[in-house]
Amino acid sequence: MPYKLLEVDKEIPERKNHVYVKHCSDPEDHIPNCNTKTIPGSMSERGCAFAGVKGVITGAIKDVIHVVHSPIGCTSYGYGTKRYPTSPDLPNGEKFPIENFNLKYILGTDLQESDVVFGGIKKLRQSIIEAHKEFPEANAIYTYSTCTVGLIGDDMDAIAKELTEELGKKVVAFNAPGFCGPSQSKGHHVGNLTLFENLVGTKEPPSTTPYDVNLIGEYNIDGDLWVIKEYLDEMGINLLSKFTGDCSHDEICWMHRAKLSLVRCQRSATYIADLIEEKYGVPYIKVDFFSTKYCSENLRTIGKYFGLEKEAEKVIEERMAKVGPELEFYKDKLQGKRVFIFSGGPKSYHLSKPLEEELGMETVAVASQFEHKDGYKKMKDRVNDGTIILDDPNSLEFEEIIEEYKPDLILAGVKEKYLAHKLGVPCILIHSYENGPYMGFEGFVNLAKDMYSYIYNPVWRMLEFEDEPTEYGVEKGLDKQLNCDGLKEDLESKDQNKQPDGEVA
Amino acid sequence: MHQNKKFSVINPSKMCQPMGAVQALLGVNDTMPLIHGSQGCGTYMRFQLTRHFREPIEVASTSMSEKTVIYGGEFNLMKALKNVTEKQSPSIIAVTSSCLTETIGEDMEGIIEKFKEANLDQDLPIIIPISTPSYVESHVEGYNRTIKALVEHLAVKSVGNEKINIITGNISPADVREVKNILSDLNCENIILTDTSKNLDAPLSESALDLYKDGTTIEEIEDTANSLGTIALSKHMDSAAIYLEKQFGVKSISGPLPLGIENTDKFIGSVCKLGELEVPETIKRDRGRLIDAMVDAHSYNYHRKVAIFGDPDFVSGMTRFTCEMGMIPSVVCTGTKSKRFIEDIQIISDEKKVSPVILAGGDLYDMHREIKEVGADILVGNSYGASMAKEEDIPLFRVGFPIFDRLGAQRIFTLGYKGGINFVDQLTNTMLDYYYDEAGYEVSGDESEETIFEGYFAGEEV
Repeated sequence: MPYKLLEVDKEIPERKNHVYVKHCSDPEDHIPNCNTKTIPGSMSERGCAFAGVKGVITGAIKDVIHVVHSPIGCTSYGYGTKRYPTSPDLPNGEKFPIENFNLKYILGTDLQESDVVFGGIKKLRQSIIEAHKEFPEANAIYTYSTCTVGLIGDDMDAIAKELTEELGKKVVAFNAPGFCGPSQSKGHHVGNLTLFENLVGTKEPPSTTPYDVNLIGEYNIDGDLWVIKEYLDEMGINLLSKFTGDCSHDEICWMHRAKLSLVRCQRSATYIADLIEEKYGVPYIKVDFFSTKYCSENLRTIGKYFGLEKEAEKVIEERMAKVGPELEFYKDKLQGKRVFIFSGGPKSYHLSKPLEEELGMETVAVASQFEHKDGYKKMKDRVNDGTIILDDPNSLEFEEIIEEYKPDLILAGVKEKYLAHKLGVPCILIHSYENGPYMGFEGFVNLAKDMYSYIYNPVWRMLEFEDEPTEYGVEKGLDKQLNCDGLKEDLESKDQNKQPDGEVA
Repeated sequence: MHQNKKFSVINPSKMCQPMGAVQALLGVNDTMPLIHGSQGCGTYMRFQLTRHFREPIEVASTSMSEKTVIYGGEFNLMKALKNVTEKQSPSIIAVTSSCLTETIGEDMEGIIEKFKEANLDQDLPIIIPISTPSYVESHVEGYNRTIKALVEHLAVKSVGNEKINIITGNISPADVREVKNILSDLNCENIILTDTSKNLDAPLSESALDLYKDGTTIEEIEDTANSLGTIALSKHMDSAAIYLEKQFGVKSISGPLPLGIENTDKFIGSVCKLGELEVPETIKRDRGRLIDAMVDAHSYNYHRKVAIFGDPDFVSGMTRFTCEMGMIPSVVCTGTKSKRFIEDIQIISDEKKVSPVILAGGDLYDMHREIKEVGADILVGNSYGASMAKEEDIPLFRVGFPIFDRLGAQRIFTLGYKGGINFVDQLTNTMLDYYYDEAGYEVSGDESEETIFEGYFAGEEV
C-alpha cells in the first residue's frame, strides 16, 4: 500500500492518492495523483494561473511594461513579489535606462463595477496607450487577463493586435485568468505558448555564432542565471536568448536561431523548447545546474555537444578546487541531517540526491505544489525507500509530516516558513532564496552555508515545547460527517483525475 | 518625461476588499476566513500577510476552476464548508466573495442555507457570508463590511454592559494593545473589534498553529448591542457603529485615529464622555511625556517636508501629527477615492496653514511624481515606498501594511500618547541618521561633497 491517508486527511479521503510513500518494488506508475483540481477548503498552498504567467514567466523580463487587466487586487498582489534581478544590458549593446525595471512598476486597469457590467475593453485600451506614453523606454507591452476579465469576455487578443499596429510597439495578451487550470502550472503553459506564438521567429539576432544556445526556464532568482552565464561564457558558449531571467523582449523573438536549447526548469518551460524544436528544428536538452555533480555532468554534456570538452573540464576543475574544501566542511556539519523539500516543482528532484550524496543529508520528504507526472517520476527515482512524496500538500499535512518525519530542516516558501518555525524547525526559502544564488558550484556552497547556519543557530535550543505531541483527530478533526447531498460529487472527482498533463483550454 | 496619466493605476496604494475582510477576521477568536473564488486570491493574501507578520496565516479557498465558473460554485462552496468544518472545526466560518463569484452572481447565502439544511443534525460553525467584490472600492471597505457583517449576524440586545465597543480598523497588533491599555488606564471595559493584539504577536509555541485561541469572541460580538457606545477609530470603517446605533441605540462616534496629541485627546474625550469617566493621572502623565518628546525633537523636525501614504485615516492622522511636530506634509496619498479623506486633510490644512498635495484614489506613481515636484525629506508609509525613497535619496519610515523588508511589523507602535512618543523618537532618529553627522550637526545638503559629486554625474539624467 504505497498511498497513505494521513491522519489529518481522514475527512478528505481523496487526498490519499496525492500522498505516496516510496517502496522499491512498486510498479513504475505508482506516483502521487497530480495536476488535478484543488480540493475546495483543503488549505492548499497553490497559486493561480495569473500568478504562473506574470509571477514566474514574464515578470523576469527586463524591458517590458506589464498591464494587468483586473480589479485592484491582482495588480496589487502581482507587484514586487519575486526576486529576479536584471542587468541593464540589452542585446544591441545599449543600456536600459531604468534599473530593475521588471521589479519596479506594474500597471493595472483597476476595474470598477461599471466595467464589469459594460465591459472593460475601453479602459484596457486607454491603459495600454497610457503605459506606452508613460514608459516610452519599454520595448513591449504585455497585458494579462484575470478572473473577472475571463468572465466578462473582453477580447484581449483583438486589442493587443489593434494596438500593436497603432502604437508601433508589440502588445502581447496573456489569457490565463486565475480560475483556469488546476494551479499556477497552467499559467506557465499559457505564458510559453503565448510568447512562442507571438514572438519567436519574428526577429533576427544582431549576430550569431556556432555556439549559440537558449537557456530556457531559468529566471535568475537571486542571480542564479549569472552564475551559469559565467561558466558558459568561459566555455565559449554564447547565451543567445534567455527564457526569461535577465532577458529582453527581443531575445525571445530570435530564440529560433539558437543551435541548442537548454531547459533548466523543466516544469515551467519545456513547452517552448518543444515548440521551437518542432517548428524550427532546434534540439533541446534538459539540464540541471544544482550541486557540483549535476552542474559538472551538465557542463560536460553541453561541452560535448559543441566539441568544447576541454573548456568544460577547465571550468569544472577551477570551480571544484575553489568549492571542494568548503563543501567538505559543510558535509561534516550536515551529515545525517533530515530534510523536507517542498518546492513549487522541480527543485524537489533537483536537490534530493545532491543533499544526500554531496552533503550527507537525508531527504525524508519531498513535495510539490504543481508538478506533473513526469516530474513525480523523477522525484520518485531520486529518493530512497520510505520517503514520502506529496502532491499539493496543505498546512495541516505539512504539520503532520513534520511531526512524523522530524526533519531538521525544511526547504519551502514564505507561507510555510513561519509555520515551520512554530514547530521548532528552521526553514530556507527555496523559491526566492535566503542568501543566494544557490545554483552552480558557488551557489551550492551558498545553500550549504545557509543550511548549516540555520540548523546550528543557537535560537533553536531555547525553544521549550511540551512533550505531548498533538493527537490528530482528537484535537483537530471532529467526528462529524457532513453532507453535501444533491451534488454530483462523484462525477466531479472522477473528472478531476481525467485532466491530462498540460492540457490547454 | 511624464505626462498626466488618467486611466490606469501604476504601483497601487490599495488592495481589494477580500484582503480587508481577512485582515479584520485575523482578530476574531477561532475563526476561519473562506474566500469564495479562485485559489490564487487566498494564496496571494496569505503571502502578503505572512511576509508582513512573519506568522503562519490560514485562509481557506473554494478553489474555483473553469467548470465551476460556468455552472456556479455551489459544489465548491459546500465542499469547502464541509472540509473546513470537519478538519479545523472553527467556531465561525466567514465566507467572503471575490471578483469571480460576484461577477457570476453567486448566491452565497442560498448555498450556505442549503448546506445548513443538509446538516440539520450537526453542530455546525456559525457561517457568515460577506459580500466583498474586489472591483468596488478597496480593502478599507472590505474591512468595514466585515465588521458590519459580524455585528449584523451576531449582535443581540440583552442587558446593558457598561462597555465601549472599539472598531480598530487595520492597525498593528501593538497599536491594538495600546488602545486596550489606554482603556484599561481609564477603567473602561471594552469590546475590541477586532483584537489582533495576541493572535499576531504571540510567544512561540506549537499551539500557535491552531486557529486563534485569542481575539474577539462570539460572546463579545453578541454583546456589542448592549454597550454604551461604539468608537470607530477609522472613519472609513464605521458602518458597524452606525448599524448598532440605528438598531440598538448604541451611540456611535467616528474617528479620529488617535495619532498625536489632538487626535488622542479627542479619542480619550470620546471614551470619557461615553463612559462618564475621569482622565487618570497616568494618562495625563503620558500626554506630558509626549509633549516633552516633541519639544526635544522639534529642532530636528521643524519645517522638514514629509510625504505620507497608506490607509485614509492613517494618512490624515499622520498629517495632523506631523504638523503638530512642526513638519510640513508635502504630499499625502491614499489609494481609496474618499471625500471624507479630502475633507479631513482640508480641515488640517486650514488649521495648520499647510497645503499638501492631496491624492485621494492616487497610486505610488502619482505620489512619486508629486514628490519630485514639491519635495520631501522623509517618506512615511509601507514597504512599497522603498524604491521611491531610494530614488529620491530620502529615508522611508515604515508604518502600515505591508512591511515585508523589515522585521517586527506587528510591533510598530504609533497610537495614543505612548505610541506617539515612540513615533517621535523613531522618526527623529531616522532624520538624525540621514541628515546629521556623528556630532549631531546637520550635514547641509547643497554644500556637502557627496551631493556635488553625485550631482556632477547625475546632471545629464532625466
